[in-house]
Amino acid sequence: MESKKFNVMKNLKYAGYFLFAALLVSCDKDFLEPEPETAITSDTYFLNDEQIETGIIGMYDAIQGVNSNNFDDNFGIQREFYVTEMRSDNTRTKSQEGEAAEFETFAINTNNGTVANYYASFYAAIARANLVLDNIGNASADMAPVFEGEAKFVRAYAYFNLVRLFGDIPLITESVGPTDERLFSRVATSTIYELIVTDLETAAANLDNSFKNRGSRAAAQGLLAKVHLTLGNYTSAQSLCESIMTSGEYSLQSDLREVFYNEGNDEVLFAIGFTSDNGNESQNYSAEMLNSVGRTVGVNYVTDEAREALDALGGERTQYSYRQDVAQPTQYQVVKYLPNGDANLGIDPTSTDPTSAGNDWIVLRYADVLLMHVEAILAGGQETSVPAALSSFQAVRDRAGLTDPVSSITKQELLDERRVELAFENHRFFDLIRFGVAQEVLTAFSNDNGYTFSASDLLLPIPQREINLSNGGLTQNPGY
Amino acid sequence: MNLKVKMIIGFLLCSSMLIAQDLTVTGLVKDENNVPIPGANVVVLNTTRGTQTDFDGSYSIRVSSGEVLQFSYIGYETQTVRVGENTTINITLAEGVNRLEEVVIVGYGTRKKIHLTGAVSSVVNDDLDQLPVARVDDALVGQIAGVNIQATEGEAGSAPTIRIRGTGSITGSSSPLIVVDGLVVEQDFLTNLDMNEVESFDVLKDAASAAIYGSRGGNGVIIITTKQGKEGDTRFSYQGYTGFKEARQSDSYYFSVAETAQMELDATGVISNRTAYKQQIGVDRDWQDVIFDGGTITSHSISARGGTKKTKFSASIGFLHDEGVLLTDNFRRYNARLKVDTQVNSRFKVGVNLAPSYSLRRRFDGSTHDILRQAPWLPLYHDENTIQYVDRNVYPDVQVGDYAVQRHFDNFDLFGDGSVLQDISNTSNTNPAAKVLERDRNDYKFKLAGNAYAQYKIMDGLNVRIQLAGDYQNTYRNRWQGVLSNRNGAAAASLDVSQENRFHVVSENYLTYDKVINGHDISAIAGFSVEKWDYIGNATSASGYSSDLIRTLSAATLIESTSSYTFAERFQSYFARVNYAYKDKYLASVSYRRDGSSVFGGDKKFGDFPAASLGWRVSEEDFLKGNDVVSDLKFRFSYGFTGNKDLDTDVGEVDFYPSLALLGPSSATIEGDITPAIVALNIANPSLQWERSREINPGVDFGLFNNKITGSIDYYNRTSDQLLLNNPVSAASGFRNALVNIGEVVNSGWEVEFRTRNVSTPNFRWSTTILASMNENELTNFGDADGLIQIVDDKRAAEWINLVGNPISSFYGWVVDRDIPIEYLNEPFHPVGGEAQDVYVKDLNGDGLIDDDDKTILGNPYPDLVWSVSNDFKFHNFDFSFLLQGSHGAEIRNMGDQYLFNHFNSGQDFNTSVTPDQGFIRQKIFTNDIIQDASYVALRNVNLGYNFPKDLADKLGLNSLRLYAAGQNLIYVTADGYTGFNPESINTTSPTTYGYQRAGSPIFRTISLGLNAEF
Repeated sequence: MESKKFNVMKNLKYAGYFLFAALLVSCDKDFLEPEPETAITSDTYFLNDEQIETGIIGMYDAIQGVNSNNFDDNFGIQREFYVTEMRSDNTRTKSQEGEAAEFETFAINTNNGTVANYYASFYAAIARANLVLDNIGNASADMAPVFEGEAKFVRAYAYFNLVRLFGDIPLITESVGPTDERLFSRVATSTIYELIVTDLETAAANLDNSFKNRGSRAAAQGLLAKVHLTLGNYTSAQSLCESIMTSGEYSLQSDLREVFYNEGNDEVLFAIGFTSDNGNESQNYSAEMLNSVGRTVGVNYVTDEAREALDALGGERTQYSYRQDVAQPTQYQVVKYLPNGDANLGIDPTSTDPTSAGNDWIVLRYADVLLMHVEAILAGGQETSVPAALSSFQAVRDRAGLTDPVSSITKQELLDERRVELAFENHRFFDLIRFGVAQEVLTAFSNDNGYTFSASDLLLPIPQREINLSNGGLTQNPGY
Repeated sequence: MNLKVKMIIGFLLCSSMLIAQDLTVTGLVKDENNVPIPGANVVVLNTTRGTQTDFDGSYSIRVSSGEVLQFSYIGYETQTVRVGENTTINITLAEGVNRLEEVVIVGYGTRKKIHLTGAVSSVVNDDLDQLPVARVDDALVGQIAGVNIQATEGEAGSAPTIRIRGTGSITGSSSPLIVVDGLVVEQDFLTNLDMNEVESFDVLKDAASAAIYGSRGGNGVIIITTKQGKEGDTRFSYQGYTGFKEARQSDSYYFSVAETAQMELDATGVISNRTAYKQQIGVDRDWQDVIFDGGTITSHSISARGGTKKTKFSASIGFLHDEGVLLTDNFRRYNARLKVDTQVNSRFKVGVNLAPSYSLRRRFDGSTHDILRQAPWLPLYHDENTIQYVDRNVYPDVQVGDYAVQRHFDNFDLFGDGSVLQDISNTSNTNPAAKVLERDRNDYKFKLAGNAYAQYKIMDGLNVRIQLAGDYQNTYRNRWQGVLSNRNGAAAASLDVSQENRFHVVSENYLTYDKVINGHDISAIAGFSVEKWDYIGNATSASGYSSDLIRTLSAATLIESTSSYTFAERFQSYFARVNYAYKDKYLASVSYRRDGSSVFGGDKKFGDFPAASLGWRVSEEDFLKGNDVVSDLKFRFSYGFTGNKDLDTDVGEVDFYPSLALLGPSSATIEGDITPAIVALNIANPSLQWERSREINPGVDFGLFNNKITGSIDYYNRTSDQLLLNNPVSAASGFRNALVNIGEVVNSGWEVEFRTRNVSTPNFRWSTTILASMNENELTNFGDADGLIQIVDDKRAAEWINLVGNPISSFYGWVVDRDIPIEYLNEPFHPVGGEAQDVYVKDLNGDGLIDDDDKTILGNPYPDLVWSVSNDFKFHNFDFSFLLQGSHGAEIRNMGDQYLFNHFNSGQDFNTSVTPDQGFIRQKIFTNDIIQDASYVALRNVNLGYNFPKDLADKLGLNSLRLYAAGQNLIYVTADGYTGFNPESINTTSPTTYGYQRAGSPIFRTISLGLNAEF
């Protein structure tokens, strides 16, 4: 009997060991609710100024986009030139191949991935702005107006791009769930512009000029000036431009090269910042615009038409605008964003790896403001000799070494000046529309090059993906 | 054999002494491989006398002349011999079915096969380890009806796609649950498992059987059991083979300068300058020959198994080396396993099982579609001849021996007079082979899997089992992209390294009760388990290298990005099951499982998964008992619920915490400084819950003519609803996808298994197995997303539609009407192998224009019928077997054609100024031009073996020796119109855009020689 008792004891001991082991992994009270360690949950965040400011920075992160070749990533502003410059008479693909060539030939497919990506990217920026605005109540009394102004600046900037490219679009002004009807109804452009104007007015009122890579008063004013020019409100546009000009905080660089290769210079009102050789912070457009450096075969190559305009009217700007492609001497490249420098032009490389470039993307600069000033005074007319306009115009030309005095400016001269001054900065397409000559100019360009432009090509197609998801809610733009 | 039985036998033996027996018969009982069988039962029929063979397989029994001796052993066919004059009776037992005793593993226990009420198929590893394949799942092709295993990736060591009864889920995974020795593992676990260690596979196909695994059983369960030691002398065995692998190439993807030149001459009467230049270079190669370089596969495995009555052990080590058929791919595996079980005392049993393994896998770090579209005139390296074509103005430094690049051949002064500067390049990419050879990408995996259990007998029939199991896995990956791998040179050289540590622990505790009372056979379990996974990992990308010499992070001048993560998942379950049989005739099973997962939120954490099944063995009824024709007949019916919880959104945080609105870190550059940002990661879904499947499964098992013909027929209908989908949402929301429970998919079909013993004589045996399964997939509800059209690649936006009434992930697009005549193409003979990008399509609704209304469903990627026929022959010491396998009715969207036929090249565009009816032209990728029949018939396996006679083996000091030769895919026939090299190859995309093939990797033939020895 003694031994049997011993056995029971021994058995209980074994059982104890295993029960202990079994319970080791199971006695946690919140066993089924492990806390995420690599993410924050939203109800515990955006509670104070510091936290809200990280949401503000997130908006610029959205505009930056991802340096990638995977269309599941939002490219942000990095491929904006496809949907703007390459749809104008300024640039094209090097080899006229593939989806990228749909832009220059005005034969854009409704499934075009770059179009869908741009749409997604700028709505992502809008969503991040709306997230900030949703939480603005948690900000301090001092900071709330500033955050509001900045979020509205970004939101207006994104809508302004989208409305010009797509026409009527969904209007989203707060965080929405995936089945919200607003995602699937196209709102009239006039309503979109109402939001843009009020958002930019708030931004201009609430912000100061502390930043160039974030929204500022001047940036909001400059953008609003362009909005008003687009809407034909010339007086408002003129006073906004003059407000920037009299602020004394912005000036032309003496040399166009300095505008692009001396970042943060006084000419910049608003630029999207990038940092070289950093996977999260770099961009690839610099490399894509070259031959055999980026991942594509070469995009945003300079058209003969743009080259002729620059040769004739560019002055000292021309050399810093385009150059011959060494590898293919019949082709010409943009030089405003070189990642690997150009010894002949005195430009140093900006990154070790060209596909991880750090060149900023300038959205708004002072020369643009000066030329908008001229445009506002011209006020839709054919010619002006108003001294204020002449002065602004002359300043831009002087910098280019074209110092012969100007006594009057025609609408065509202003358009040409904008073309050569702001070449390859994604303005040309919108300028043509704003000046009311897009159809005429692009038809001629298309005929010369064997493309198929028609008036309906001035709007991009609403991405097919969005239409498919909308259950009939979204209609396609005409001509697609 | 337990003590009681032994005592009874002993008593019977003693008592039998009292009866007069005039003979003592002795002999040896062996298996067909001449290996003695210890512990075989030898009984005198119609008496109570009997004995067992000893360790050497010999026996001795006293009998009377004229009595009948019966020899039996589990897993072997029973034999009877009438005792005559001869006092020595040697018996060779044939492996086979002792159907009454056969058991299958059903999760947390076993069940007699005759008692099964669900659809469970078993495969015993008789000779699967002789198949020259690197992975155990690769060996299962064609072995089980309803289990479809497809070589979707062909790289050495890569996992096949496994589907049991079709695709039921539209989330990341429709893969079955895999359980190895009671431990739930990922399919990746099988990368490191050696087939030589595997005893058997048991596949739970119907929901009622799989329901004991509850929330994870929705796509079926594969239970893998490793070999265990047996009582007796320690037996050492060696198993090894070596084979040669060769890729199956595609004739359609063979492009030749000479053939294109001839076509051009035939069509136009002249050879263009471009073509003339290509011919002049003098290179005309098939790039398939370069990148499908073939390889060898070698496996060695040594094991020792044995034990005493109380303690049994199994120890094994193995090594496998598979060179793969692609350039650079290479897989090595080292594995070991120790398994010990010991009966501590009459009540206590404990055991441990420990299996470390290590694998190294070098990847084929390229894309076949990218390489094979390169021009056949392009040399691999420059030689004295080709160097003279190099455009020295642009490439002054290129030397003999350097990789040749198409652009090197630009601006060639074709006539030597400067009149023509000819270009022939169609890409500025670097040499295609350089892209692969100059990269070095490896996965290193160390895994340690194991378990320890203790089982305690509380009372007769009632046991408690406590088990702690787990696996640890360390994965280290590196990827070196060398200076010459990219056209951008050193600037693009980079190193990516990542590391993941994964800990998985599960504690399972349950009671088992097994009792037979008056013919009522009850077997029950009840228990609970808790389980946790922890993932800790990091990744770094670096660049800024000036050479290939030092490939470390330290040598980098730039760290481009780094990241790290920690995720946790928890799981808690309660389960119970009662299996019941009355007189082997009336059968029933009821089970219930409740699972809770940390992935789901709030009140959605727990899910309930009940199941019930019934069976009736009609053959046990009096009116059929002893029937000459029907020896076994069982009707069964099962109904049960299972689930699925797998998410795959590509964002780890979202996969683990989808019910929460998550924010994660990001950054932006502000005034030159990288400034931290916090951004939203997902659209939260707090009410996200289990995907649920319910399935009915009536079936019949039968045996005819003394079980010479056996088989089963099953019908199933599985409805999966509340499907977890990372559903596309309007990008205007700021996101592209959100997780939802939506829709319903029905998979229904038939499974048939026939096994016949055609000839069964001592010297010649022939058996046949025929398996077939038919599955139909239908989306029956898709909520608001009905008609959802999706694409895989924005740049090649071919569409898939998910439309109620059709299979999920159906191909969608226009129907080809006719080709564009070659004379309308800009430059039809450049590049070599180029084909028109576009095609005329049909105006289906006859409205005179082509638009979305003319699109239709063009096919689906699921086979309608998968079948296999295997035959096994044994003739004296020779054996021969082969397995034919086929799949029919699936289509694939072969995007490889678009790349390989250079559709995108402007030379292949139609001339817009002369081509008629341009409104009816669409790109081929949007049509059924690239939808191809993926059916195939393959001679999967052939095996010819020779077992050395016992005396010969003895002379060599061996217990047994077998030599064999095996072949795989010696014949592989694809459907007409299929242009690629592997109809099974499918790129990884989402389940709603399944069936995308982009060249992929080839099917390969393997011929191998093997040797098994026991000593």
